[in-house]
Amino acid sequence: MVHFNLKVSRGVPSLSRDGKAVARHLPQRGRERFSPLPQGEVVTSKTGRVRGSSHRACARPGSEGGVDGGHVVHGSAARREPRPPKSVVSRVMLLGVIAIVLAACGGGATEKGSPIASRKIKVLATTGMIADLAINVGGERVTVDALMGPGVDPHLYKASEGDVQRMASADIILYNGLHLEGAMSEVFERMSERVPTVAVTEGIDRAKLQSPPAFQGNHDPHVWFDVTLWMSALETIHNAFVQLDSANAAIYEANTRRYLDTLVALHKYVLDRAQSLPAEKRVLVTAHDAFEYFGSAYGFEVHGLQGISTVTEAGTADVQQLAEFIATHRVPAIFVESSVPTRSIEAVQAAVRARGFEVAIGGKLFSDAMGSAGTPDGTYPGMVRHNIDVIVNALSREGS
Amino acid sequence: MSSPLALEINDLTVAYHDKPVLWDLDLEVPAGVLMAIVGPNGAGKTTLIKAVLGVIRPAAGSIKLLGEPIEKMRRRIGYVPQHGSVDWDFPTDVLDVVMMGRYGALGWIKRPGKREKDVALQALEQVGMTAYKHRQISQLSGGQRQRVFIARALVQDADVYLMDEPFQGVDATTEIAIVDLLRALRSKGKTVLVVHHDLQTCPEYFDWVTLLNVRKIASGPMAEVFTEANLRKTYGGRTAIYSSINGAPNNQGLAKTAVS
Amino acid sequence: MDLSLSSFFSDYTLRTVALGATILGVTSGVLGSLAVLRRQSLLGDAISHTALPGIALAFMLTGSKAPLVLLFGAAIAGWIATLLIVGIVRASRIKYDSALGLILSVFFGVGLVLLSIIQKTPDARQAGLDKFLFGQASTILAEDVLTMGVLGFIAIVVVLLLWKEFKLLAFDPAYGEVLGFRTTSLDLILTTVLVLAIVLGLQMVGVVLMSAMVVAPATAARQWTDRFGVMMIVSAIVGAVSGIGGAVASSLTPHLPTGPAIVLVAGSIVAFSLLFAPRRGILWNWLKQRQRGRRFQEEAALLDLYALAQQHTGQSHSHTLGVLRAMSAAPAGTRRTLHELHTRGLVASDSSDGWRLTPAGFMEAEKLLREQNVRT
Repeated sequence: MVHFNLKVSRGVPSLSRDGKAVARHLPQRGRERFSPLPQGEVVTSKTGRVRGSSHRACARPGSEGGVDGGHVVHGSAARREPRPPKSVVSRVMLLGVIAIVLAACGGGATEKGSPIASRKIKVLATTGMIADLAINVGGERVTVDALMGPGVDPHLYKASEGDVQRMASADIILYNGLHLEGAMSEVFERMSERVPTVAVTEGIDRAKLQSPPAFQGNHDPHVWFDVTLWMSALETIHNAFVQLDSANAAIYEANTRRYLDTLVALHKYVLDRAQSLPAEKRVLVTAHDAFEYFGSAYGFEVHGLQGISTVTEAGTADVQQLAEFIATHRVPAIFVESSVPTRSIEAVQAAVRARGFEVAIGGKLFSDAMGSAGTPDGTYPGMVRHNIDVIVNALSREGS
Repeated sequence: MSSPLALEINDLTVAYHDKPVLWDLDLEVPAGVLMAIVGPNGAGKTTLIKAVLGVIRPAAGSIKLLGEPIEKMRRRIGYVPQHGSVDWDFPTDVLDVVMMGRYGALGWIKRPGKREKDVALQALEQVGMTAYKHRQISQLSGGQRQRVFIARALVQDADVYLMDEPFQGVDATTEIAIVDLLRALRSKGKTVLVVHHDLQTCPEYFDWVTLLNVRKIASGPMAEVFTEANLRKTYGGRTAIYSSINGAPNNQGLAKTAVS
Repeated sequence: MDLSLSSFFSDYTLRTVALGATILGVTSGVLGSLAVLRRQSLLGDAISHTALPGIALAFMLTGSKAPLVLLFGAAIAGWIATLLIVGIVRASRIKYDSALGLILSVFFGVGLVLLSIIQKTPDARQAGLDKFLFGQASTILAEDVLTMGVLGFIAIVVVLLLWKEFKLLAFDPAYGEVLGFRTTSLDLILTTVLVLAIVLGLQMVGVVLMSAMVVAPATAARQWTDRFGVMMIVSAIVGAVSGIGGAVASSLTPHLPTGPAIVLVAGSIVAFSLLFAPRRGILWNWLKQRQRGRRFQEEAALLDLYALAQQHTGQSHSHTLGVLRAMSAAPAGTRRTLHELHTRGLVASDSSDGWRLTPAGFMEAEKLLREQNVRT
């Protein structure tokens, strides 16, 4: 950057509008019309009087350098600088901010006025798994919206203003709870004052919840991997709908019963497939510690690179220890997750390879999010089935 | 074939945001003179230097150095800036700074070698700073810093030297040393233009002078130009001051035959 | 875990991470030196923060998360931001640091917005872009290290080639302009290389922490040397040590993220350098100050004794501590000062708490007086 742009003392008054032209043709007159000199050094005016202490120029040390000394010359010339109307600008900005906030807050209550029994219930769920449950309980009676789509990591998800509006205009909000939606707890608190907000895990017996040592008194939130625990969530949702819309309780009852059968069958399926693997082969290594409940429900030893929440960053030691474990136990496959970057697992694989063992990437598991909508993986049962199939297929291969 | 004029300036106008800093300047400086550029604050002296160096673009006018446009003559100009213009805490020593004067001749990428070092040492000798060659620049006094800048300009081996207030903040001994140096340059046929702030010493040190106040007031040999009338036009102010400088009565040429 | 040195570095992960961190450290050390010497330390901060929207846009436009693609986006964004900052400074009255802060926050904010937009798309591949905020050093792959190596190599080669030009640019750009080195071109080249250096480090320490790597090694190095070349080398070494140190620390401590560990090591080195470096360090200067103070008190005591001696005929008349205290400007330290003078052989004491000058002391006092007279 060229630092020494020519800096002129600010006090030099400007040329008169067409001063240039004037001065060019009529030098004498121009000189008197404007003085191109800073205040204090004006050449003798017509009356011969002099202003300013020009003898300062011959003083010895201490006289400032010439034009580019950059010193500001005081006096009326300097005062001529236009001052920006600071107060007006800041006032406009303040009004703007207030307007935005009002718009955000006000956008809530639209057509909620009409009685709920006569229209569809608007359900807002956080994860796809919860949305899936809600659709199956509510059937025709509900329209369900999920905040977090496929591939979205709920641990890191931050709600935007748009999300808050959607929540405010829903009839009921369903979220996982147990701090799965780590960045949104404040939002749920606020919303619960206006809209029924239900944590679908609240019905689960706390004794059945796991509490990993690193998580300090909080529970592991990944309960949907144990189908039996997810049945409890189904029940919670059922109760919430009935409370909201008691007129149609019969419908919800029927739907829930039907879906419960599906879930029971699903649970059996997973158990059968898991048990088709010999016990020593049931080692599941994934990107983060999401599968603890899966492990305890279906008999797998589970290891993740990152902790319970993807917020934590894996350190070098974590990579090394995991690689060491995999190589020592000759685990045939490790798994990437749809909502976590694949890079971390690839790094583990490379580290294992350096230890002389080749571990395959067994496939992609759906951990904190489901597959794309419209595909079988986009439903809860489909996702669970996908997971267990991928796991068992990969692990039943003979290790290399 | 070079013209006898070291510097030929025509109609030079430099404006900054519509404020004129130099106005319609015509100047002819013959080769081999030691010239002072004199004027009040804001008169455009440093601007003139920078325009001749080619670092600011004039609004109008042309500048020729030794008969050629200045863009072609960069190598022939040496420059000593005002000493406040640099960060003196920079990690470098005196010799290093002086060698920077050779960078222009080296061009891009080439590193300075033994030859450049020898030239730099010679220049340090000329300014009397050989003992300080590995001194950190932060440890130098004002006068020493000025001398380093001069040495740096000397190694440029130019034909025309431009100096911006080289005597500022400098002690008496250094000042004499610098003047001797300038005279030595002149005797080698170089042209030296110096922005000078002290009217008192002008007649003694320089043989030519340009009086400047946005416009050229006067320019020429010291004896002819350094008159009270001209000084008055340049600065305004009481004539008594100027009479007292030389003790000469009013309206007489003020310059003695100061410079030989 | 076997802690011998050779087994340490035979571990693949540690080796890879440490190598990447070393490249990062060396490059940011060298280029950081130039930025710091040009008083543009915060430019590194700006370039790293403004890279965020570049990364997001690169993903949105190409759908690819390949590091080269994302880093290219980061580089373009950082470059554009720098141009904007310079443009704002030139075209308006806004000062450099205000323009820098403005562009930095606007770009970063846009980047966060883009990230949250991406977060909402049903595209399942988008996971992991926010890792660029704080880096993910421990999972760096061998091919990423290769990319870093190539970029770092280019950056260092450019600096080596244009060594004297960059030195001139940093020290006296005005003079460089006069010599014919167009400052704008040099500035452009230096900015480009700085962008390269920063972008290669984003994968490891992330957008938020990269500015520390630009500033810390150079600042630490400046404390230890007054020579330009040596400063660059020391800076590179400090950077490398921080990198390796962070990697090793993270390797020894489970759940310690590597990127922040690297920055912590660098920061400790800076703190140490600021405190303990000779000549420029705080401790050093404090000690020197105390030394000076003590010398001053000793001289004052000597002269006091001399003055007292003049009033009495005979040099052997001794004076009590109380008298000397009364004369002193700092009475509390008088006894210690006298003891110090005694050690130097300039005063002698007798049994009844009396102090007088020794012949050597007299000579010293007279010498001091002579010097004082010369000074005034």
